[in-house]
This record gives sequence, C-alpha cells and structure tokens, in this order.
Amino acid sequence: MPKRTLILAVMAIVCLTTAGARAQDQAGQTGPANEAERGFGWRNERPSLIFGEDVYVSLRAKAVFDWRGFDPDLEEDTFDLNVARVGLKGELTRHFDFEIEREMDEDGVWQDWKDVYVNWDTFDLFQVRAGRYKLPFGLEQNLGRTEIDFIYRARISTQLTPARDKGVTVSGRDRGLGYEVGLFNTDGDIGKLTEPQFTPGAEDDLGPTFAARVTATVFRPFVGEDAALRSLRVGVAYTNGNLPEGLNSLRGETPYGYDYFEPVYVKGRRQRLGLEFDWTPGPFGVRGEWIQSREDRLGQGLGNRDLSDFLGTGWYVYGTWIVTGQDKDDNISMRRSVLHGGPGAIELALRYEQLSFGSASSEGLPERNPRAEHLFENRDRIWTAGVNWYVMPYVKVVTNAIHEDFEDPARTPLSGETSFWSGVLRLQIVF
Amino acid sequence: MPRRHVASPAVPDALIAVVVWMLALLAGASPAGAQTAADLFNPTVLHRVDLLMHSQDWEKLKQNFQENTYYPADLQWNGQTVRNSGVRSRGLGSRSGTKPGLRVDFDRYSTSQTFLGLKSMVLDNLTQDQSGVKESVTMRLFARLGVPAPRESFARLYVNNELIGLYAVVEAIDKDLLARVFGSIDGNVQNDGYLFEYNYLLGSPWRFDYLGSALDPYQARFDAKTKEDKSAADKWGPIEELVRLSNDTPASALAPMLEPRLDIAALVRYVAAQNFVAQNDGFLGYDGMNNFYFYRLEDSTRHVFIAWDEDNAFLSADFPLNTRHEENILMRKLMEASTWKAQYYSVLQEAADSAAQAEDGQAEGWLLAEMRRQLDLIGDAMREDPSKPYTNDEHAAARAALLDFPAPRISYVRCESARATGAALPAGCS
Repeated sequence: MPKRTLILAVMAIVCLTTAGARAQDQAGQTGPANEAERGFGWRNERPSLIFGEDVYVSLRAKAVFDWRGFDPDLEEDTFDLNVARVGLKGELTRHFDFEIEREMDEDGVWQDWKDVYVNWDTFDLFQVRAGRYKLPFGLEQNLGRTEIDFIYRARISTQLTPARDKGVTVSGRDRGLGYEVGLFNTDGDIGKLTEPQFTPGAEDDLGPTFAARVTATVFRPFVGEDAALRSLRVGVAYTNGNLPEGLNSLRGETPYGYDYFEPVYVKGRRQRLGLEFDWTPGPFGVRGEWIQSREDRLGQGLGNRDLSDFLGTGWYVYGTWIVTGQDKDDNISMRRSVLHGGPGAIELALRYEQLSFGSASSEGLPERNPRAEHLFENRDRIWTAGVNWYVMPYVKVVTNAIHEDFEDPARTPLSGETSFWSGVLRLQIVF
Repeated sequence: MPRRHVASPAVPDALIAVVVWMLALLAGASPAGAQTAADLFNPTVLHRVDLLMHSQDWEKLKQNFQENTYYPADLQWNGQTVRNSGVRSRGLGSRSGTKPGLRVDFDRYSTSQTFLGLKSMVLDNLTQDQSGVKESVTMRLFARLGVPAPRESFARLYVNNELIGLYAVVEAIDKDLLARVFGSIDGNVQNDGYLFEYNYLLGSPWRFDYLGSALDPYQARFDAKTKEDKSAADKWGPIEELVRLSNDTPASALAPMLEPRLDIAALVRYVAAQNFVAQNDGFLGYDGMNNFYFYRLEDSTRHVFIAWDEDNAFLSADFPLNTRHEENILMRKLMEASTWKAQYYSVLQEAADSAAQAEDGQAEGWLLAEMRRQLDLIGDAMREDPSKPYTNDEHAAARAALLDFPAPRISYVRCESARATGAALPAGCS
C-alpha cells in the first residue's frame, strides 16, 4: 500500500473516531480541568493528555491531499500530498503555552521542524515568545495552512513574507489594539539563501531581522457588541534585516513552483512593508493585504556600481460567503455537520491578486539580466474561485478554479503562453 | 483671391556648405553608423574587445570554468557598447580557469537584442594552439574552398579594463551564419532548419556505425541548437535514418539512397579540405568524429556539415591522404565509389592549388602568406598575453613550424593525389 494511502487511511480513521467521540463529549473545555477530567480527554477540541488543573498536551495532526488538473498541460503530477504534519500543543501552568510541530514527506520521512516555541502569557499586555515560529508579518501568512479560505495562499504571502525563523517576540493586546515586536536570527524560511551562487560565507550574514506589527479593531470602541463593524480590523507591519551579497533576492513563484521572476543580485538591507484589512460581518468575510519588499543592490551592477532597489509589490482582496448561514468567525460552527444529518457549512469564495517584481528605476531599456539597473518587470495576476465544504469537525473539502495571467511571455510555465487554468480538489483532515 | 507672394530668405551657399560639412563630420564621428559584422570579423585588424562585468562574476566564471553558467556583461568594441549580454565559459579540452574561453550571447537577457546583427559570438582562448593561428588560417582556407565555416578575427580581450589576453573572435554557428553561408534556396533563406552541435563523448568514439533504432544515442551526440521544442522524432529521427541507411546500404547503391538525406558532394569537399590541412581531430579524427556542426536544411531532409574548432590542424606535411577512411563507415563506402573517390582527390588538388596560388603582389603562395600575415598581426599581442599557457619561446617555435608546413604539404598532396588516381606524377615527386 503506498504510504500516502496509508496516511490517508490512518487520518480518516482517527478523524472519524475522534469526531464521533467529540460529538458525544461536548466538553471542548477551555477552563481549568477538574479531577474527573484528568488523563486522556478533550481540551480545546483536540484529543489531549490532561495532567493537572492547567497542564495539558494536545495531539495535533494535519494531512492535506490534492488532486490537480492543468490547461495547458504543465506535466505536473495529478496527485500531491501537500502536507502531513504531527505536533503537540499545550499549556504548562497558567503562565506558559507551547507548540511543537514537524512535517513528513510522502515517503514518511521527517522533514523540517515547523513551530517549536514556548510563550509566556501571564499578562495580556506583555507576553514573550521564544523559539521557532512565524515572524509577525503578513495577515494570511500568520494563519495556518489549513485555516485559509483558499487552497493556496495568495502569492504575496508565499513570496514576500518571511514565514518562520528562530527568534524572540514581545506582544500584547488591549481593547482591540495589538502589537508584536520581534528580533529573528535570519530572515525567515522564505527569505533564506538557497541559491548555488552567492559569496562564500554569505549564509552567516543573513539577518538578524527586526519585525513589528500593529493591528487594531478600529470601530470596536465606538460600536456595540453585535455591530457588524466591530470585527473590522486593520494592521500595519514592517521588517528590516541584513541581506548578504549574492543571487539572493526574493523571487516570483507560481503556486506550482515555476519561477516567473528568478532571483537577482542583492546586497544591503531587505525591508518589507505590509498593510492589512480583515472584516467578518455575519456569514461574510472580506480580507485584503498589500505588501512591498524593497531590497538593496549595493555594488551589484556591472563594474560593481550601485543599482536601484529591487522591488516586489503585490496585493490581494477577497470575499467569502457562507451560504449555509453560519457566522464567519474564528471557528465555523459544526452543529449542522454531516454527523448530525446536516450539510455542514458551505462557503463560496472569490479572490483577485497580483504580484510583480522589478526595479525602482525605470530609466533606459528594461532587461532580464539580474544585474540590470532597469529590470524587466514580470507580473502574475490570479483569479481564484472556490467552494469550501466544512463536512464535519476536522474534515474540509475545497475546490478551486485558478486562472493565472503573466505579463512577460518569455517567463511563464510554458514559453509563449501567458494564460493558464488549473483546478484543484483538496481533502484536508486536521485535528 | 490674389496669390500672396512670399519672399524666400536668401540662404548663402557657404552656410549650406558648412551645414553639410558638419553633418558629414557628425556622421563620421559615429562609428556605429558604418560598422557591420564584417568589420568585427575583419581578419586584417587586431581588435580590442572589452567586457564590463561584476568583479565577483568574473571570479566565479574562472573558478567554475567547467560550468556553463551565464553572467551578465556589457561588451564594448570599436566605440560601440552592447549592454546586458550573457557570458559563459565554453570549450571542451580548451576550458581554462586562467584564460577562459567565452561565449557571448547578446540575446541572453533580451530575446530581440543583437549586436551588428549577431545574436552571439565566441571568444576562443587559443590555449590549445601555441601558434595561435591554426584555426583562423584553416577557416580562411575553407572559405576559399567553399566549405561552410565561421569567420574569425583576433582581439585583445580586456575584462574590467584588465588585459586577459589574445583571443580569436569567432562567428557563432547560428541562424545568422546559416543565412550567410547557405543563402537562399528556392526563395527560402536557409536559417530555420535543424542545427546540431556534435557532442564528443569521451571514451565513446563514434565513426558513423549504427547506434540502434532508439533515438537516445543520437540525442547524446547531436545537441539540438534550434527547434529545441520539437519532438525527439522530428529532431533525431532523420539522423537515425541517415546513419541506418549508411550502414545497411551497399556501397554501390549508397549515393542514390543518401542524396535526399545528405549533401554528399559537400561532405567529400569538407573531408578533403580537412585532410589537406592535416586536421587530426575532425570528421575523421583520431578518436572518432569530432568538431563539427550538422545542419538539416530548412524544409528539407538534406544534411550538411559545418566546420568548427580546427585548432589541431597542420599536424604534419606528410599526413596521409586516406587517413582513417577505412575506420569511418560512411567514408569507407563513399571511397569505394569511383565518382566520390575522384571527387575527393580533385578537392585535394584544388586545395593544393589554392594554397600555392600567389595573390596579387605576393611572392609566396596564399597559404604561407596568410599564415605569415596572421602571425605578424598577433605577434605583439601574443607575446604580451599574460594568461596563455605556453611561453613566448614555445610560440616562436610553433610559428616556425607552422611556416614550414605549406610548401612540403602542397607537394605531398599533389604527388599522392596523382598516385591515388593514377594520374601522371607532377615534377618533383619522388
């Protein structure tokens, strides 16, 4: 039996068993556990080992299976085990929480560690997190992969944000205003150096990176508890880190891994600025982000002259509507799941996004040369339409139709073709 | 309505003359206006070529000279600059980390960019030829004999204003060369056929024996340079067929079978010309076939050979005229046919005559005069070359040896051709 089939079977059995158990045990507690609840039980809607009043460990697992089709054909695999992860999450007294998560590949071989951190959360206004986790930059990037409303994240989330790194963050929240400020070892997994060409020893010069994010539910002080505007949240975020010399810039990549803008030579600082917007009135959701990365190219021109900054600029906006009527908040109610004879929750979603890369300078003829002053821009514009079916607790089926349109015909997945359709059906099991 | 007369201002003739003179000066001050690829490949001029690169790219190119990684560069020649070209290390045995052989693609980062109408060119590092001129002399002779060959000139190469050394500027075998060499056939410019660079496989010498019906072995040897997106059957199927028929068809029936697929006369001419210059590493090379391009004419099934990399020429004046004819299946069968055998020796005679013919005002034959001219042209630059892998004394010895080649070779070829064809021996044959 192929390992991916084995993973699917194990996850399905665990899921059905735990979903059934959870249906009978409506505890899902968040408060202190009493004597009777200790041992194996439920905590925060997950199977957990509860050691005491406020010490517990929950088991977490994710398996995501994709079936894909392409027009024109890109010779990609039809099936893709998108992610398989196992982890532990819990609390160590009322003052600390933690998470450990690791990924495995299709052959069952352990891959990178994902989240490994501990958080001191005694005070709402001043918390400290240390370990490896996502930098506080990017609204969608800071949601889990299985928590987003589409199969693939927006391109700005996967290409312009830093994602995970080792570091320390101070954060706090009060009356709808939140802040996060952190210092990280390098520049995150997305910004790391992976190219074969860079100055020897450059790996050690990447980072440290400073990151900060402020969010605010701006209408919260002015409206009532049930007002639709209460959930409207805006935010701004910024990063700044050292960038070593080499072919190490950020890049443009499609959801299927084609580089439509390959890295260029950079040196100096890498900065990011992000603006975000999020609103979930009733069954509707509206979300948008704008991000720009700016990378120095000091001494990177022919003859070692300085070049204008390398820019990655993109944005997305999308809307969702749960046609079965549940509220679009952090957890869509599963009281009408198929286990209870209902349809579950069905959500429609539509997103438009674009991401472009180029140079700050537009003087002279544009070139694709990675040391050009005026870089030939390439832009990926994507429409994504989808249906999300929350079948029952832990199980979600998503289908997306994706249309990509590239600006530069010379840099597309199929030379000369600028428009591409793809369709993806995803089964995800998460608990 | 009465017509209104407007008086034209009188323009002094002197003013007009001054303006015309200034325009002429401006035109003359712009070298870009008059220069062409022919100027770049002008073999009578020692050029200067400058590459402006990032210093680290140049160091990486030298360190990783066995790789084909491209690096961006601006190229300057004769007051003209072509920006954002792609430069990479090139060659087989000539690859060097000290004095890299270079390929310059003007369209690497901009598909429409050309320089003097060229999409690319080669800067040959001359590391395998201590005389420095064997290949360029050979290509000039080939051109005289009607063998498809690239144009060449010489240049001092500077990278970031530092002298790297003496290089040969070689016309790349690409669509521009195809159009120039093959011109128009039936109203169709011959620049869009299937072009292959022969890929010498170390330890696997090939002499046109059949490699089987699978296309992989042909793909490994014939590196497609055009129409890369075509199917394997389109690209290598006709080559497999040509090789199969060459092997399976008796010598007596070979010509009519191959003619639709191969320009036999051109092949015989090419091999004879290579033999005349005693090229030991060409179509009938010491380790199998090597150093050529193969072109299937546009809208045709016919193939032709194009000369490449002739720096192992001029091995010895008594290089036998039938060297390795028996080893190569195609050549062996062709030489069994009296027509092609006669053609082969006829071309050898033609080459000898061409080499011996004195041009206007010259006291010596063309080949010797051309060798001397090129050696004199590069003499100072060769001696000043800081990167060459041989000494000035070795270059001087190679120069002397080369100049000793033409006279005895011409005599040898004339005598041995006569012997091979049963013709009367020329005077002086022993």
